[in-house]
Amino acid sequence: MNIFNKHLFHAVRRLAFSSAVQDVIKRRLFFMKPCKVVTCRTFVLSPLLNKDSSSASEKLDLDGWKHVMRSVPQEETSEETSGDDSDSNLAATRELIEMWRLLGKAVPEHISEEQFKTLMEYPTKTSKRKYLKFLAIKERVKRTQKEKQEKQKQVREEEKRKAYENNSSEPRNTFLMKFWSRSEDTFFHWRAAQSMIFGHPLVFDMAYENYMSPREMENAVKQMMESEGINRKAMDPFHLHYCNLKTDGPYHKMFIKRYGEAWDKLFVTVTEKSHVEVFPQDQLVYLTADSPNIMKTFEHDKIYIIGSLVDKSIQKGISLAQAKRLNLATARLPLDQYLEWEEGAKNLTLDQMMAILTTLRDTGDWMKALQFVPKRKHSGFVDPALYSKHQFTIGKKMKMTDQGKACNQFAKNSFTRQIQRKWWED
Amino acid sequence: MAHFCQTSNWVLQTSMKTYKIFYPILHLHKLPTVFGCLLSTTLSWSAKPMDPKAICKESPWLKSREKEDNLRQSRAEKDYFSPRPFNVFAAGASKRRATTQDTLTDVKKSISSKKAILCPPEKPLSVEEWAKMVEEYGEIRKFEELMLEQMIAHHSPIDVAKSLLVAVADREGDIGYSLLVKYLALCVSHKEVEEIYDILDIMKTRYKVLETSAYGLLIRGLSHSQRWKEALLLLEEIKKVMTPTKGNYGDCIKGALFNQDLSLAGELFNEMVAKNLVPTLDTIQAFFDFGKSVMDDHWKTKIIHILTYLRDNQVYPGEAQMQSINQWFESLPGENWKGNLTTIKNSGQCPSCNRFLENIDLSPEEYNILKERIIKDVIQGRDTFRKTTPEELEEFQAFVNKRPPFDIVIDGLNVAKVSARHNSSQILLDVVLCLAKHNLRLLVLGRKHMLKGSRDWDRRNMAIMQKKADFFFTENVSEDDPFLLYATLHSGSHCKFVTRDLLRDHKACLPDSLTRRLFFKWQRGHQMVLSDYVPGKRIKFEPVLNYDTIVQTTGSTWHIPYDDSLLKRSSYEVPTKWLCLQQK
Repeated sequence: MNIFNKHLFHAVRRLAFSSAVQDVIKRRLFFMKPCKVVTCRTFVLSPLLNKDSSSASEKLDLDGWKHVMRSVPQEETSEETSGDDSDSNLAATRELIEMWRLLGKAVPEHISEEQFKTLMEYPTKTSKRKYLKFLAIKERVKRTQKEKQEKQKQVREEEKRKAYENNSSEPRNTFLMKFWSRSEDTFFHWRAAQSMIFGHPLVFDMAYENYMSPREMENAVKQMMESEGINRKAMDPFHLHYCNLKTDGPYHKMFIKRYGEAWDKLFVTVTEKSHVEVFPQDQLVYLTADSPNIMKTFEHDKIYIIGSLVDKSIQKGISLAQAKRLNLATARLPLDQYLEWEEGAKNLTLDQMMAILTTLRDTGDWMKALQFVPKRKHSGFVDPALYSKHQFTIGKKMKMTDQGKACNQFAKNSFTRQIQRKWWED
Repeated sequence: MAHFCQTSNWVLQTSMKTYKIFYPILHLHKLPTVFGCLLSTTLSWSAKPMDPKAICKESPWLKSREKEDNLRQSRAEKDYFSPRPFNVFAAGASKRRATTQDTLTDVKKSISSKKAILCPPEKPLSVEEWAKMVEEYGEIRKFEELMLEQMIAHHSPIDVAKSLLVAVADREGDIGYSLLVKYLALCVSHKEVEEIYDILDIMKTRYKVLETSAYGLLIRGLSHSQRWKEALLLLEEIKKVMTPTKGNYGDCIKGALFNQDLSLAGELFNEMVAKNLVPTLDTIQAFFDFGKSVMDDHWKTKIIHILTYLRDNQVYPGEAQMQSINQWFESLPGENWKGNLTTIKNSGQCPSCNRFLENIDLSPEEYNILKERIIKDVIQGRDTFRKTTPEELEEFQAFVNKRPPFDIVIDGLNVAKVSARHNSSQILLDVVLCLAKHNLRLLVLGRKHMLKGSRDWDRRNMAIMQKKADFFFTENVSEDDPFLLYATLHSGSHCKFVTRDLLRDHKACLPDSLTRRLFFKWQRGHQMVLSDYVPGKRIKFEPVLNYDTIVQTTGSTWHIPYDDSLLKRSSYEVPTKWLCLQQK
């Protein structure tokens, strides 16, 4: 048995060996062919064979870029540093920004004098860097917008030309007058003017100028303009009051800057007076996210106040303090009651508040009104079954606490429903 | 047939054998990092600590990673179950609370690196090969920059980066500034001094000024080289436009120390501190490490000055720094210092030298400063209406002034909500009765809704409590914590308060770091935290430590708290481990 095994082993080995030899021959044959054609064979193999010579040859190669770099002349910097110390500091900062741009950091290409001044006013490195980033993003957005516009313009002109070439120069004929946006504007203005006389007042409290940074201020004014636009286009606009607006204060200045001449033609009541001087105190309700009271319905005999404040840092309870000081009623939106809140602060932007209040007044439906809460902040509305139960419990609570007041429709509804239920149980 | 089968089997086996040879080689790749790990751990433990646990830590060479994890776990568990130094302000306490609260949601974060798509080559490539690679990754925009970043991350040899630069120079005839800076970063991480010189020269000829990150890298690269003086010039360049970072200063100081320019290092340190920069622990360690070779009285006072800086700014050294400090002291000739690692007893006695540590009480002046600041910044703030109303504040002040000083002020709502399973008023009642047994004058702060009577707030319980303690109820919209602070501070330094709240938001209202530190010290010495509650049976408070956790000396001893390198400490916690140095 053993011998047989040995023989077998040898046989196999021989077999394998012979096949291997054949393989080698084949391979060699295969190798022979290209080496005849291509002359760079030694070049390819050399780094594998002898390391010393290769590293030497490569080293020469590897530092080649330095010579290239040195041969390129210094970049021209035309700025001359004057003797003035502050001037040289400014120039140095500009150069620093330029170098940052070369490094690929988020800094703008062009900085205006005004922007540069605000940049230098920022006290810390981080705030400066943040401002530069803001400017860079702004610049990029502007540039892409411009490019887009150019493209559209080209397309339009192209179409025009084509139409001109194909179809004769005959203008289109129609018996309807074109509806210009100007006439739409007039229509809105009429309605706004009407609201100035008969409209339900809505107050923006502008007393927060000192709590905001310039950036927040800009945002606040932007949001104010937005909400004014929403109001103007509403079916039944509110009569807007901008209370506590100091003449020549930061808000006033910013409004004039943004609105231009339109500021004086705006259909809103602007006053330096406080809202407590303009309206009876017991009618006012201050809307603030910090309020302990939940707003149940839109009460048509109340005047709501929105604090015109953008608060990017965390300053808790500013508007609640304001309401406490003037001894006003407060309320917050029933966000938790109707929405599955996920993330983000409960304070909404001014235009969102405006849209919510407008819809709420027109329809009385919280579901519709709260559609304006940003979708990223919640994962949807609370289950409708729960929601009706909620309404019921709210009504019940109201009955217990606000029995004396019991003035709004919703409360009455639930109240009567409860009475009915009691009667049924009896 | 059988014959064939066998042969094929045999071939398979042999091929398996041959392939097996390759496995260990693959594993070898990982070796350098493992060795590195071991080296660093053993280095930091080279000084002989007294702790027997630490000694056994030196022995394991294998499975160091595993062991470390186990150690970490066992330490954490032990600390949790051992009641002794456990305190809310002890290092790692918050983390422990977090883990005990939600052990179920144990985080198993798999680190997904999206950038790993680009893998830098291991050998220098030719221009053509790079061109091919660029084509391959055609969709990546800044291929070269990403590649260099990856090289920095993978710590690739600089020859590879060089070959990339050659390819870029070949293609574009120039190399951009950002590429050059990234290459510089790679060179600095490899400590390739010659290359750094070359880049510095190229940059000088090409650009009139540089920006902060390149300056920072150059300073780091140059500070260990012959041309370290140039690093100082670069530091001056940065100063023209910005305040240098603590890293910039640290590198310059290290450079000066390595080159024996002691006075310059001292000057730079002072300059840095004057600019309100907190030196990195590395910088501090460099002073001590270097100090071992210099035996000079002037230098010694300088080092003591650094220790007082640590004390004044409540900077706690890490484990490695602690070892350096220890070695420096023990190397002082003729003074015979001996260092031990200990933890301090609750009484404030050091088990190693039997001395008592500094008391945590504030000095009268400090106390008054703190009291004023609390009233001004925390309670009133910019607008008294935010936290309370002026009427309420006045009412409260009158209330406190009418009564003799209290011994303990209780945050009623915080204490009552310790456990959700038990009735709130019952918990509060138990706590009040327990404290009243010791004949202490109590004040309980609450909100008006507690009086209304509800399921949670039983009227009978409230009535019993009101006989045992004074009560003050704030409006439901007011904050009660500021009143707690005011009442406690008003009663004097013997008065303590009970709450589980860490009061971080109130600390943040204080204007500067000095008062914040004062507040924290006062808080550590006066806050009682309910740690264990079983209704009717057990009420236990965490011990209030009466010693201050701060670098301190009595002349012949030094006590230096340090951070355990395995334990992550939050900013509102203090270390529990100490280095006790005594002269024999």
